[in-house]
This record gives sequence, structure tokens and C-alpha cells, in this order.
Amino acid sequence: MDNFQKKFVEEATDLINNLEEAVLALEKDISNNELIGEVFRIMHSLKGGGGMFGFDDISNFTHNLETIYDEVRTGGLKITDDLMSITFSSVDHLRSLLDPDALKDPQINKNNEILLSSVEAILKGSGTEIPIAEAEEELDQDGDKQTIYIYFAPNESIMDNGTNPLYLIDELCTLGETKVFPRTAKVPLLSRFNYSKCYTAWEVFLVSSENINDIHDVFIFVEDDSELEITKVADFDVLANEGFNEKIQSLYSEKNHFDSAVITSLVNDLLEEKKSRMVNVNEKLKIFTKENVISSIRVSSDKIDHLMNLVSELVTTQASLSLYVEENQVYALNQLSENIENITRQLRDTAFSISLIPIESMLTRFHRLIRDLSSEFNKNIDFITEGAETELDKTLIQGLTDPLMHIIRNSVDHGIEPEQERIDAGKTPQGMIYFKAFYSGASVVIKIQDDGRGIDINKVRQKAIEKELILPDAKYTNKEILDLIFIPGFSTAKNITDISGRGVGMDVVKRKVDEIRGTVDLESKENIGTTITIKLPLTLSIIDGLLVVIGDTKYVMPLNLVDKIYAYEKEQFSNAFNNIIVVDGEQIPFYYLRKEFDIPGEPLDIEQLVLVKYEEKRIGLVVDSVVGEYQAVLKPLGKLYKNHEIISGATILGDGTIALVLDTNKIINEFSFKN
Amino acid sequence: MINDDILQTTNSYLTFQLGDERFAVHVSKLLNILELIPITKVPKSPDYLKGVINLRGSVLGVMDIKMKFNFPITEYTKETCILVLEVLIGDDFTEVGAIVDSVHDVIEIDEKQILPPLSVGIKFKSDFITGVIKYKDKFIMVLDIDKMFNAEQTKIANDDTATEAITVK
Amino acid sequence: MAKTILIVDDSESIREVVSFTLENAGYNVIIAIDGTDALPHFDGKVIDLLLTDLHMPNMNGIELIREVRKIEAYGRIPILFLTTESQRDKKIEAKDAGATGWIIKPFVPAKLLAAINKVMR
Repeated sequence: MDNFQKKFVEEATDLINNLEEAVLALEKDISNNELIGEVFRIMHSLKGGGGMFGFDDISNFTHNLETIYDEVRTGGLKITDDLMSITFSSVDHLRSLLDPDALKDPQINKNNEILLSSVEAILKGSGTEIPIAEAEEELDQDGDKQTIYIYFAPNESIMDNGTNPLYLIDELCTLGETKVFPRTAKVPLLSRFNYSKCYTAWEVFLVSSENINDIHDVFIFVEDDSELEITKVADFDVLANEGFNEKIQSLYSEKNHFDSAVITSLVNDLLEEKKSRMVNVNEKLKIFTKENVISSIRVSSDKIDHLMNLVSELVTTQASLSLYVEENQVYALNQLSENIENITRQLRDTAFSISLIPIESMLTRFHRLIRDLSSEFNKNIDFITEGAETELDKTLIQGLTDPLMHIIRNSVDHGIEPEQERIDAGKTPQGMIYFKAFYSGASVVIKIQDDGRGIDINKVRQKAIEKELILPDAKYTNKEILDLIFIPGFSTAKNITDISGRGVGMDVVKRKVDEIRGTVDLESKENIGTTITIKLPLTLSIIDGLLVVIGDTKYVMPLNLVDKIYAYEKEQFSNAFNNIIVVDGEQIPFYYLRKEFDIPGEPLDIEQLVLVKYEEKRIGLVVDSVVGEYQAVLKPLGKLYKNHEIISGATILGDGTIALVLDTNKIINEFSFKN
Repeated sequence: MINDDILQTTNSYLTFQLGDERFAVHVSKLLNILELIPITKVPKSPDYLKGVINLRGSVLGVMDIKMKFNFPITEYTKETCILVLEVLIGDDFTEVGAIVDSVHDVIEIDEKQILPPLSVGIKFKSDFITGVIKYKDKFIMVLDIDKMFNAEQTKIANDDTATEAITVK
Repeated sequence: MAKTILIVDDSESIREVVSFTLENAGYNVIIAIDGTDALPHFDGKVIDLLLTDLHMPNMNGIELIREVRKIEAYGRIPILFLTTESQRDKKIEAKDAGATGWIIKPFVPAKLLAAINKVMR
């Protein structure tokens, strides 16, 4: 028994002793009001305390006795001999109930039942209503959001007893999303205004999944003194609808009170709209029905990792099989081997898509962030998103969230100007932040663009000179100046505001993006806006590749970046001017990989020009020969080659040798700088 | 393969040859000894990083220690081996391969017998040497393999054209 | 600054469990055993909320509430009373006397704190 319970037992023992004394005295003087009062109070305390400290048996037992003695003291009941004897027996019985296990004893249990029914009989006999404990009304506990309309008009003098109606409105707001409309029509002129009176009424739209009883409970202290109406108006979130919000806003200024009829009709309109939209959407969805059915299961990431490993091994094993079939010319197995290759490819793709999550999951946070920041900084900003369905590996999304939040914060804080400034500058009062995600070749591109002030290049240049990052009279292009922003410790904001001061600066953004082998690019024009572009490699660890040979080593290029392959005589390359070759009438720059990779030996007479996609262009890479398509299971090169840019990994071929996987974008980047 | 239980408590070291000098490395760092197999060179990498090999389905990076220490380079022979070592680089353990001229016996070395490297008119970058012992009339240098590969890492990160300032006989 | 609550109840165990709960929640607690014991506390010192049982010897809860409301300094402080469900009709009487709200016995500490939160922040 805990301390409080022990305390109660002590107290109850005393109370029961007092009860006994009081009843003895009462017997001799049955109209003594004081004694009656005391008996009542003791029953009341035993009932209350019993319930508080877990002695439900005592609480139940004294329940009706308390009522009886309440009636007696108010004159509704007279004390009879019967009542007296029952009360005496109760005293003894109560003593035994002080043992929490008392009712396990059959004798005591019997007594309990007899006494309880006797007491009940007295109550019934007197015609007094036996109060029943109020059962909690169970309303539909659906976790779905409903919209509830609340009208609360407290009595003018409600504050006299210490009530603060605003606390109640606050409490309503904790139950869900609310739109509160105060009604001040009854507020008198200042001359007649009494500050201790409440003249305001409130109308509230509450979107909540709470039980409607809980909403009623907010007002329990005041419902008797106020006009209160609580009705459910919709089974969904009505406030999420722009149209509804607009209509309600205009109705608010027109009328004194939202008519429930008007609200119902508005909601019905919404429902109609929704229905017709659903029909349209369903038409379109028919193609995708299977995918969009909201049936998903949670899978532990360990299982997914294991699945991936198995798929990787399967791909490698299948490659060995294909090789064997080819080398040993087992024609019968040819078809079979091809089938297996096909199925393996599909299995691989499906397995990978499991660990991909649409970027959408991040967008909600961004919407929320912009909304909160806009109100905090008093800016009017529209956040437009495109490409929410673009999928990224789960780990990438986790790694990206902070950097992207930081970039958006910057746009809101420093980029987008306050309304007036925008108007003065001839721009629309509402600023825009545009978020776009899309695939490009073997990368995912995320673009965040704002139409704000842009970055003041001169300020950046000044700051850089101050920090001795550049020489004052050196010539730099605007782009080079902008790139300085990525250097650690660089910040043009005068004080790092609360939210952007979390230790995330553009340098951290760059580092995080580098960590996931991505690139980040910044473009800005004064007064027009700033655009930040992040490119991430799709970290598929099994890629469709093109297997090529340069010297003694085999290499793999990502197949989706390969455009065309042409064969040329070696002289075409050695004699080319400025490393440009004409292909199909077009001038294509090329890189001679034998040279770039320092491969010794003589080139072949005929070499292969592989045209790869690079940004918007096509660039040629010259290799000795092309073997064919190959499903490459990417393996990391290991820590020794941690910072090796141009090779993104290695793969083990069917015969056990290693082929190196080329990152064509990085190759072109690196070699073009050298030239 | 070496039993993990014995590893931490043992005083066993594998000895191997690099040019004229003999070195020792604690057996707990040694995972495997391979004969020299063809190594796939990774382009645009320092010359002491010889490339990668296929080790039971995973890709192992291989380094030529003699090149790293700026020893005179000799041809690889039948004796040349690759030691597969488990080194601590940063916070993780990684497998790396190191090419050595030949391997010798596993010997027992009592810690007390190891002399500090400065005392022997040292010729090599003493950062990587924990100490020296005399064993059967030969001086054997005890290698701190973790330090060696960690220095390796920082060098790669900071653009690796620096050469080490060591004098070699 | 921590708010001060005056708790009045003739049951010692109730007083103890309530003051324990309130103190843990960060309130300052003054205890009184019945109305007569409680009233002198309303001498001008800061009392932010009165929590009282209704049925007590000497001066009961309703009388106490009436008396407290007569004192100008405490005319508008929140007052909560403790009641069992069978006392629902008492609510009207208590409210007429000037109470702000009630807590139904038996109650768990969370309900006590929630009711206080309704009337005092």
C-alpha cells in the first residue's frame, strides 16, 4: 500500500470511530441537525476518499448512505429504526472494508450485499431518485477529422466568478485546428463600457478528431451561464478548403452570426465539389488504380537491406551464368539464361523502388516551414511545388532535409522582400518560392527558386575581401563570387537569426550534398531572384551499364547516359583540332580516355566514340572497344579511394575480374577544367 | 585463419621483407596473405595505390608500401605477396591490401623488448614505427599499421602531390 | 512566478494527495482544514486560486466561497470546489455563491490539473 493509502486508512479509521460516536448520540436525539450533518459529512468523506485512494468497496458502500443522510438533513427523509440499525451495522461493516481484500471473505461479501440492498430499499421506499453514476457517452471515436461549429456567447457577468472565457477559447484551440471569429456587436461605447463584463461572443470552427464530449467538456463550468451551441458540420476538414475559407471570411464581415443553415449549405456545396472532383480523378486514376490504392505495409529497413544484398548477388551470379553459356556455347541454355537475366532485371528494379520514397514526404515540412516563417517575418509568400512524386533513396531524403530547410529559410528570411518593398520595386506583392524536383539522366535534380532580392554580388565581394578570401583588385566572374558563399564561415546576414543560426550555413549545405556525391549550384540576379540547384546521383547500386575496354582494363558507363556509339579510325582522333570531331554534321567535343587515363601502349586501329549525355549537351568519350550491355553490381572502391571522383565504384564481372565504373559527368567536368 | 580469441592477448607478429629491411605487424591486424594476383589499376590515382582486386566478391584496394616509403622499386617476384590487413581508418575498420616483397615467420615479441625508434639512427618516417627489436641478429621494425593508413587518408584528401621528407639509404 | 493555491478539505489524506500533486506541478500550496481555518488567509496576500471541498465542519465550502467573494481583492479569483456526482444540485448553489467551476470526486491528479488549467494560466 502506498503512503497515501496508508494515510487514508488511518483517517478512515478515525472517521469510522467518529461515525460510531455520532450515530450513538443520534439514536438518542434523532432530530439533532448537527449530528445528522456530521453523519452525512463522514459518509461523504468516506465515499470521496475511498474513490480517491482505491478503496472502491468503501466508496460504493457509502454511496447510497451519503444520499440518504443528505435527504435526512434537508428534511426529505425521516430517520427510522430501520435506518438506525442499518447504519450501526454499516459502521462495523465499514471497519472490515478497510482491508482491501475484505470482500474476498464470503461472509463479509454476504454482509455487503445484504446491507447494500437494505440501504437501497430505504432509498427506493422514500421515493428518492437513486443517483446513478453518469456513464461517459461513447461517441464515434473515429480518428478522422471532423469539422465542428461552436457558438459561445457567455453571460455578461460571467467574469464575476473568476471565469476567463479566453482560456476556454484557448482550450478549444488545443483540440485541433481552429478558425475563431469573435463577435463584438454587443460591445457598448466606451462611455458605457464596464471592464468587468464580457460583451463578446465567439464562433469557432474546429477541425479535430476528438470526441465531441471532450469539446463539450471545455465549457462545463460555463454552459449554464451561456448560450452554447456545438454541432458537427462536416465529416472532413472543411478549413483545408480555400473556397470555404474565403466564403466564411466574407460572410463574417456581412453578417452578425453564421447561420447554421448557411454553414450547412456551404458544406454541402463543398461536398458536391468534392464529389465531382472525385469522379474526374477516379477517371484518371483508373490507369493507376493498383498503385494508388492506399495499401501499404511497414517494412523494417534491415529486411530491405537484406533483400538488396540478395538481389545484388543474384545479378552477379546471373552474369556468371550468362558468361558460361556464351563461352561454352550451350545453346539450349541460351534462352533460359536470357529469361533469367530479364527477370533478374525486373526484380532488381522493383527491389530498388522499395527503398525509394517520393520527395512529397519532405514537402509538407517545407510548406509548414514557409507558413510559419512567413507569419513570423511578416512576408507574403506563395510556395509552389512540382515533382512531388519524384522518388529518392530514403537515406538521401534524410540527408537532404536539413540543407533544403536551410535554403528555404534563407529565401524567406533574406530573399523575399516584405510586401511594401516588393510593391515599390514594381513586383507582385506576393513573393514566390518555387520547388521543383525531376530526373535528369542518372541524377535527381532539385531546384529551389525565389523571386526575391537576389544576392548582392558587391556585398559578397566586399565580405570576401574583408575575410581575405580574395584580393581586392583581382578579377572574378559573378559566378565565382557567388561560389564563395559556400566557403565555411561566410555569411552576409548581419546577425544569424534564430532559425538560420542552427549551425547550418551554405558551407554545411555544400558539405552535406558532397557527402551524398551530389553537386550544388547557385545562381542569382539582383532584384530578380536566386536559384539553387542540387543534383544527386541516383544511388542505385545495380546499374545498367555499357561495358567498354580501355587498355587492359574494363570500364562500365551508365547506360542511360549513353546516347550513341560510333567507330572511327584512330587518326580521326589524333588529328582532330581542339578535340572536336564532327558527328552527323554536329561538332562534338571529345575526350581521349587512353590519354586522360595515362594508359601505356599503342591504340587500336579502330576506336570507339561513345556519345554520352552531359547536362544539355552530348560529349564524346573515346575507348578501345565496346563489349556490350552489362548489369553492374556497384561495389565501393574502399577507403583508400575515398575521394576518387571519376570512378564511382567497381563491379565484379562474371569471370571474376574487376571493371571500374565511370562517373561520366565527373570525368567531363574534371578534364574540361584541365583544358 | 587466426582465431579472434587469441588475438588481443597474443604477442605474435608476422614478419615480412621490404627491400633490405624487415618489418613486423601484429597478427590481430592480419586477415589473410595472398599471392600476387593481377591488380586492376584505377586511373588518376597516386602510383603507390596499385589498384583493386577481387577478394571473395568484394573489392579490395591495394597499396605498394615500398613506393609509399620511397624505397627503391624492384620487380615483383614469385615471393611477392599481398597482406590483407584490417586497419582503423577514422572511426571504421576497413580491409586494405599491402604489397610486400616476401613474408617470413610469425614470431613472439615481448613488449618490453621493443626499443623506441629514435634509438636506432632511424631512416624511416618514425611516425609509422612503434619501435624496433633485435631478433636473431636482425633488426626488425614494428609497424603501426593504423597510423600508416590514416596518414594515407589525409594525404589523399589534401591533394596528394606531396612527397615525404625521408632520407633513404 | 509560481501561482499560489489554497486548498481546503477536512480530509487529511485528500489534503495531502492534492498538495503533493499541486506542488509537483509547480504551484505554491496553502492548506486549511475547513472554512474557519481558511478564511483568515484571505488577508491581502496573494492567493491565485481557491480549491475547496463543500462539506466541512465549522464553515462549509459554500459559506467560505460567499465570504471570500465579499472581499474585494478576491472578488474575481478562480474558485473550484470538490464534489461527488450525487451532489450535482450543489453546483448551482456553489455557483450562485460565486464559484468558477468544480472537480468531481474521485479524481485523478491529471483531471485536477486540467480543471485548474481551465481557469488559471
